[in-house]
Amino acid sequence: MADLAIRALKKSYGATPAVRGVDLTIPAGEFAVLVGPSGCGKSTLLRTIAGLEEADGGSIEIGGRVATDLRPKDRDIAMVFQNYALYPYLTVFENVAFGLRARKLPDAEVRKRVGRAAEMLGLGPLLERYPRQLSGGQRQRVAIGRAIVRDARLFLFDEPLSNLDAQLRDEMRGELKRLHQELGKTFMYVTHDQTEAMTLADRIVVLKDGLIEQQGSPLDLYERPRTRFVAGFIGSPQMNFIPAEVAPGRGLRLSDGRELPLKAGRLAGIAPGAVLIGLRPTHIARAGAQPPATGVARLSVRADLIQPTGARAYVSFRLGGVETTTELEAREAPRLGEEFAVDLDLDRAVLIDPQTDRVI
Amino acid sequence: MTEAGVHARTGTEAAAVPSPAAAGIERPARRLRPRRRTVVLALRLLAAILVTVVFLFPIYWLAIMAFKTADEIFAYPPVWWPGSLNLSNFAVLFRDGDWETVRNSLVLATSSTAIAMVLGTFAAYALERFRIGGENLAVWIISQRMLPPVVIVFPIFLLYVALGWVDTFHGMIVLYVAFSLPYVIWMMRGYIHDIPIELEESAELDGCSRWQILWRVVFPMARTGLFATAVFTFVFVWNDFVFALVLTRTEVVTYTVQVTHYFGGQSNFWAKIAAMSMLGTLPVFFAVATLQRYFVRGLSMGAVKG
Amino acid sequence: MRPAALDAPRIRASDRRFGLLLLAPSVLLLLLVGLFPLVYTLVVSFQQITLFEVDTSFAGLANYRMLLSDERLWESLLHTAILFSIALPLELALGLAMAQLFLERLPGRQIFIALLVLPTVIAPLVAGAVWRLLLDHRYGPVNQIVGWLWGEEAVLLWTVNPLLVYPAILMAEVWQWTPFMFLILLAALTNVDRSLTEAAEIDGAGFWLTFRKVVLPAIWPVMAVALLIRGLDLARIFDVVYALTGGGPGTMTETISIYTYVLGFRQFETSYTGAIAFLVIAILTVLVVGAVKRMGLAR
Repeated sequence: MADLAIRALKKSYGATPAVRGVDLTIPAGEFAVLVGPSGCGKSTLLRTIAGLEEADGGSIEIGGRVATDLRPKDRDIAMVFQNYALYPYLTVFENVAFGLRARKLPDAEVRKRVGRAAEMLGLGPLLERYPRQLSGGQRQRVAIGRAIVRDARLFLFDEPLSNLDAQLRDEMRGELKRLHQELGKTFMYVTHDQTEAMTLADRIVVLKDGLIEQQGSPLDLYERPRTRFVAGFIGSPQMNFIPAEVAPGRGLRLSDGRELPLKAGRLAGIAPGAVLIGLRPTHIARAGAQPPATGVARLSVRADLIQPTGARAYVSFRLGGVETTTELEAREAPRLGEEFAVDLDLDRAVLIDPQTDRVI
Repeated sequence: MTEAGVHARTGTEAAAVPSPAAAGIERPARRLRPRRRTVVLALRLLAAILVTVVFLFPIYWLAIMAFKTADEIFAYPPVWWPGSLNLSNFAVLFRDGDWETVRNSLVLATSSTAIAMVLGTFAAYALERFRIGGENLAVWIISQRMLPPVVIVFPIFLLYVALGWVDTFHGMIVLYVAFSLPYVIWMMRGYIHDIPIELEESAELDGCSRWQILWRVVFPMARTGLFATAVFTFVFVWNDFVFALVLTRTEVVTYTVQVTHYFGGQSNFWAKIAAMSMLGTLPVFFAVATLQRYFVRGLSMGAVKG
Repeated sequence: MRPAALDAPRIRASDRRFGLLLLAPSVLLLLLVGLFPLVYTLVVSFQQITLFEVDTSFAGLANYRMLLSDERLWESLLHTAILFSIALPLELALGLAMAQLFLERLPGRQIFIALLVLPTVIAPLVAGAVWRLLLDHRYGPVNQIVGWLWGEEAVLLWTVNPLLVYPAILMAEVWQWTPFMFLILLAALTNVDRSLTEAAEIDGAGFWLTFRKVVLPAIWPVMAVALLIRGLDLARIFDVVYALTGGGPGTMTETISIYTYVLGFRQFETSYTGAIAFLVIAILTVLVVGAVKRMGLAR
């Protein structure tokens, strides 16, 4: 059963459209991540689902019930805010209990539920403290605690990790994933960080300019992006986009005249003309001793820039007139300015029509 | 299933009880539909207009009184809309020399504001950056503002009689400067606090002397704060009544004191009261109109930052 | 604010000298106009100086003993307390309601706010004079409006009738200072972190609960300062009363400030005025210190 069903949802701020007609269905228990660059409308979409913004058009169903016109408190949702939104003058306990008290639950029940949530999140020793006495990670846990005691059907997260430092962010990411598995509830999570999206999501929804660009499992989006935007957005380091010409019957020709042979049939149905080759850095390898397999092009390039990251190194070179990056084992990395041979795994490349920016 | 999972399921049932929607007892509260929203907005607008009219009416009445002819002033029932723009009430004030009290107010307010701003900003800088006297000195200074004017003015009056300073410009200016200083120091300390200290440190490394740092970095950086504080100080002095009432006689009478001279036991000089009040009020309106976003910060003595 | 301890080592001896130089003129002036009068008043209050006689011998607590039996003094304190305890809550409640009205989007909001500022910046004395015009029993519009509502001609002697003088003073006072409360509270409400109220909304809190538990604690520091500023001004209220009733009829609306003025400058009871001045300072100090502690403002 779908826990969240959105149809043709629209929302503008004055003349500026923020969400321009979104259809989205999230099955019960799924961890869905809304991702996109800033200004793509992802936060607005989340806030509209929460009922903090009123939709201009379309409908929202939560748990099979039309919620478009319901007040936030009647929507059976809980939300974790980017800045945590903790009440500074209430203790951790009272912060977590706030929603239960607002619903006039008996005191014993409040204690029981806050106790359970505190146990799950390791907040036990902090319950009598005030938010200002907590570290960033602890505040984050309190904010999550406040959401989970409510035991809502749908949990909304608005960039909850963006205020944490890198190490804490990794830690909390793992914890959120564990929490989702334990609670078995539907999560809707907004972030601009594609790594967060890839590691957390059952389903990633990529938003651009107020519209869904593509949605699917993380692997699906990584392997089969449908547009240049998704191809570039998902994956780190970013995918390379190398301009080329389709040379009928031969393969692809780069702007410096070098030709890249393709497997037979790969070009079937593709009209002659300009294309972009989308190739991930991991799909460019340093050439070995044996000749390249079919569908792999071997080229000689010169290293312009080397960025070691420890075990691996990013090596950049110019190809087809653009800066292109590959990810190599640190020991395979060339020296700066050295000529070396690379193998482009064209089988795994995507071809993009530069006119429409869609994957062919 | 983990313990937490069990809790989650039982929790759903518990949550359903307080939610009337799930129990089907009554429909959950719906958000306002667009038409209702328009109605609410219209009602709010109506209330806003009503409130504004009520609060502005006395000022409107003052303004029309100042322009009424004698017949209109003493018409019964009162005239709500004067027949002509009659300037004779103001002309009388200028003919008889009463307007000089406005000039006195202007001289006093301008010079005391200028002096208080310079001295007060120096003091604020010393308090904020060098922490001289710590928090105690700062609190003592602001507490000076707490004293009731009527109480301070009494011994000051005795002192001024002894010094021969009663009814003199310099006597009034000294008093107004001292009276304004706590406010200026308090506000400027806040504005100077907002200036990143790195700017002053880098100026020092660039070879500026302390005075140069003050003139070239602190004053320019705090200029909007200086301006806002100066306008408020000007208005406080301009609007003063108690000090002027006690310490002036004939030479430096201010416009507020002059207004009370028109009050009579039986008959009031309505036209003069209104015209003089208008003369005294318009400059304040203009001054305040220049303040914009620093208004609330100045009004709340820094409790609200702009 | 930076912790003072971290800053302390930075302050050099030459900085200190420069700072003292900057501070000296202000401190001297404040001592002259702030501290000197207090000390002088204290000294005088133990002597017997009146209009007719300058007796500077030590009179002990004679003047202070007189305070206890001075009915006019205690009545003036009562009058001040009446104005204080009616005007302050009224200004707060009206200011808060107006701030709520203008908090959300409204066409012409900025213009309304700019106009509503005006009463607050007028000289209090002029405000009193304006209400004198408005409340005149024959030529003022207030009685005319009351007449329309009442259905028959109203001849209310606002500044003379014992039943009406307090409403008259309160009208002028509340008119002038409600906008002050309004502006400060509006700024405070605007500064409340929106995600806090949104979180409360999602948590299911209604308007009142959100206001009490979320908004009020958030605006309290600012609201307390506004109450303190207004409370102090009300405790020494002078100008409006002077302009409207002059303390009359009789001494019915004589506030403590008016009484001090009359004693000191009309009757020249120099020493006794000194004693009253100290009583006033003592009362105000106790009130302010108490208020600052109660409201949790000490910083």
